[in-house]
Formats: sequence, C-alpha cells, structure tokens
Amino acid sequence: MPQYAALIWSTDLEPSDPAFAAMMPRYESFGHEAEAVIRGGAALYNNATATVVRVTGGKGGDVVTTDGPYAETKEGLTGFYLVEAADLDEAIAWAAKIPAAWDGSGCVEVRPVIDFG
Amino acid sequence: MPSGPTPDGPARASTADVVARTVRDESPRILATLARVTGDVGLAQDAVQDAVVRALETWPRDGVPDQPRAWLTTVARRCAIDRIRRERLRDGKEAEAVWLQDPDPTPPPESVVRDDLLRLVFSCCHPALAAETQVALSLRTLCGLSTAEVARAMLVPEATAAKRLTRARQKIAAARIPYRVPSDAELPGRLVGVLATVYLVFNEGYAPSGGEDVVRQDLVDEALRLGRLLHELMPDEPGVLGLLALMLLQNSRRDARTAADGSAVRLADQDRTRWDRQAVAEALELIADGLRRSPTRPDPYVVQAAIAACHAIAPSYQDTDWDAVVTWYDVLLTVTDSPAARLGRASAVAERDGPVAGLAEVDAIAGLEHHAWWHGARAELLHRLGRDDEARDERDVAARLGINAAALSSLDASLAAAPR
Repeated sequence: MPQYAALIWSTDLEPSDPAFAAMMPRYESFGHEAEAVIRGGAALYNNATATVVRVTGGKGGDVVTTDGPYAETKEGLTGFYLVEAADLDEAIAWAAKIPAAWDGSGCVEVRPVIDFG
Repeated sequence: MPSGPTPDGPARASTADVVARTVRDESPRILATLARVTGDVGLAQDAVQDAVVRALETWPRDGVPDQPRAWLTTVARRCAIDRIRRERLRDGKEAEAVWLQDPDPTPPPESVVRDDLLRLVFSCCHPALAAETQVALSLRTLCGLSTAEVARAMLVPEATAAKRLTRARQKIAAARIPYRVPSDAELPGRLVGVLATVYLVFNEGYAPSGGEDVVRQDLVDEALRLGRLLHELMPDEPGVLGLLALMLLQNSRRDARTAADGSAVRLADQDRTRWDRQAVAEALELIADGLRRSPTRPDPYVVQAAIAACHAIAPSYQDTDWDAVVTWYDVLLTVTDSPAARLGRASAVAERDGPVAGLAEVDAIAGLEHHAWWHGARAELLHRLGRDDEARDERDVAARLGINAAALSSLDASLAAAPR
C-alpha cells in the first residue's frame, strides 16, 4: 500500500502556550479516527528550537550550524503523519481531517513517499 | 508509388487531411482505453504517439484502414508492450509484459470506451493539478494535440510545454492521481473543475490574454471539441449542457465580431445576418434541456447561456428584450454572485431604464475600483449622460488599468464626437 507524508504547516506554538494544550484534543481525536492508516509521524518543537546543519568541504568537513533561519515566522513545519492510502484522493481525504487543514491554524501538504522496495 | 498527383497536389493533401483527422479523432479514445489497461497515462500517451507516427507514415501510402481504431489500438498496444519490455530490460528486470497481451485485441465496445474517456477527463482535470497543467494535459490527451501544438496554443516555447506535460505525468504517476470517475457524491464538485478548464481554453481563444490576435479560433475550436466530448460523455449534466450552449452562442458571432481591418465590432454594431443561426438553434435546445434538468436551481452556465441567447434571438440591439436579460442576471446572482455578474446586470439595466439608473447600479457595485471594465462601463454611461469630462477621466483610468483594445477604441469613437 502506498504511503504519503502529510506535512503540517501551521501556527508555530511553544508547548507551554495555552493554545497548544487547546489544540491537543483535536489531534488526539484525529489520531483515533485515522489509527488504521497512520504508519508514523511526530509533532515537532517550534521553529525557535531549530538548528540548520551544513558541512563545507564535503563529508567530514567543517560542520557549520545556524540558528534556524525561520526565527521570525509565525507558521512552520510543526509535525507530520505518515499515512497509507490507495491513491491521492484517499490521501487528500485523510489530510482534510487533520486539524491544521480545517481549524484555521494552517494547512497540510501531501507528498507521496518513495518506495525503494 | 502511383503516378498522378504530385506530392504537393490537392489529392495528396486531402489524403493527408483525412489521415490527420482520423488519427486525431481516434487517438483520445485509444489513449483512454490503453491508460486503463496499462494503468499508466504517461505510458499510454507514448504508445499512442508511436502508433500515430506509424499511421502518419503508412496510411498516406497504403490508404486509411477499414477500421482505423482497431488498427491504431493494435499498434498502440504493441508499442506499449515494447516500451515496457525496454524499460524492464534497462532496469534489469524480467521482460514480463504478458498481461498486456490481451487475447482479444479488438477495440472494446463503445460503452467501455465512454467510461475510459470519462476517467481520462477527470484525471486530466484533477484539482491537485494546476489550472495551466490541466489545460495542457486536456489539449494533449483529450484533443489529441502534439506537444508542439500545445505549446502554440498556450503561447509558450515547446520546451516549456514539454516540461509542463512531463511534470504532470510524473505527478500523476508518483502521487497516484487516480484514473477513475468520481463517485456520485464527489462528481458535482469535480465537474465544476472540468468545466472551468474547458471554459478557460475557450476564453483564451475568444478573448486572448496574450499575443496579437483578436480571436484565436484554433483554441475556440478545441474548447468546442472538448465541450462536445463532455456532452457525449455526460449528456444529463446541466453544467455540460450550459457550457456547450454558452460557447456555441459566443462563437456564433465569430464572423461579425471583427471588421475587415481586423478591429473588434461591438455587439450593438454587429451585422446580425452574419451570426451562425445553426449554432444558435443548437444552443437553444441545449439550454432548454439544461433548464428542464435543473428546474429548482439552474446551473450558472445554463443561466449565462440564457443571457447570451437573449442577444442571439434579438432582431437588433435596440429590440433586445432587456427585461428578460435583467431577469436572467437576477437568476444568475442567486446561484453565483460575482462583481462581473453585477456589472453585466447594471449594463442591462442601463439599456432598459436609461443611463441614470444604469450608472446608479454600476456605482453600487463595491470592490471593482481596480477593474478596467468597471471604469469602462462608467465612462460609457457618463458619456451618454453628457458628462464627457468625467467620461474622459474614466476612459483614462480604464486605459491605465489595461482595458482591451477593442473596448478602448469603441470608447474613443464615442468620445471623439463629444464636444470638449
């Protein structure tokens, strides 16, 4: 069965923000509803915690880190699900049930996962 | 080769035309079926292209076969198998294309082809594809245009069109855009997208946004071809009936829309004896059918066609039934409220009740201050009211906002006669 990543682009909240707690039940509810098709996923700490890593001079070269370039943005990649779906229509139907797609906090990007098998 | 007509002679040219037309008429059907059998629209497209090339090489020499579709189907299937084999070999996989070697290679019955084509329509116009991609795919697969022809139609370099089509095929394959007719519940929403794509093609031909031409008849013809295909596939859908009627009515005026010098002629000034009466008659039947099938809530395309029909059946501009036009606009506003529809209604009110009432209606439409058409309508009505200085100011705003050349020259013609 093909898999799709449902990338959640939404308001970037710190876990301590009351809005974060208010959001949790919506995601728990989606988690139950989509239990049969969810193959993985994660919620991410906010943009301010991001570190971008680049290596100059090829493998083993100097490791250059930057404090995420997104510091000032309000929206960001806040999490993702890996879902199984027969085709894009099915994947879109699941994505439409993810809270970020309908609660005004952002949107969901659906991407097919490459099957190297 | 037989002696007789030279290769460039009329006989040879007409054979080539027959071949080209047959190939174009048949290839979308063959493609649709092959896409189902192989489960791969891109592969099917390549295989049909191979078969088309072979037909164009051999038919002018050997004559068009008795059953061109069967011929093309068989050859396209063989080409598909060859392509799969080549790909498997390249990937180091076993050549196992046996499942394609259908024991019965004759073309499937018409009802199956119909379903295959419907599937193809909804795949090409899938909402996960960008509007311009839907247009490119529809022209390529449903109209049977070559990539070069798609490029010409969309006014982009051939490489751009090729890239757009390749990306679309990649997305269809990788993201698994389904090759399927939407369920009854999804169909209305998905059909709206299909109709919008076809109307986009039509409008780009009828009132081009780019290029030099006042009308691009080739695109208009492709849109009509698509409209007729949809009508053949979904004869009961009011939106399909309405869109085809609307396109037929607008196109019925093609011979009267441009003057000998290529400039546009306004509706009021067109020679109505040059309108295509046959197209009008066909459209009127489609509208009646569309209204019968949606008595409680008419489809917006049917209503727009009804408005166009009021003009089509009027003996002259002055004798247009403006009351009927205004009433149809009222119906349109109940099913789809838009500033453009309100502006259309205001113009009809100006004809029915005079410029004072019309201008009041135009001024009451909010949110069009940045639209050239709104200022153009104001300029025209102010001129009729004898307020020519204000009319000239509005004409300048409309020009700055990019009103099209035809509308501008007609405004200028009115204003040139006005005293300063």
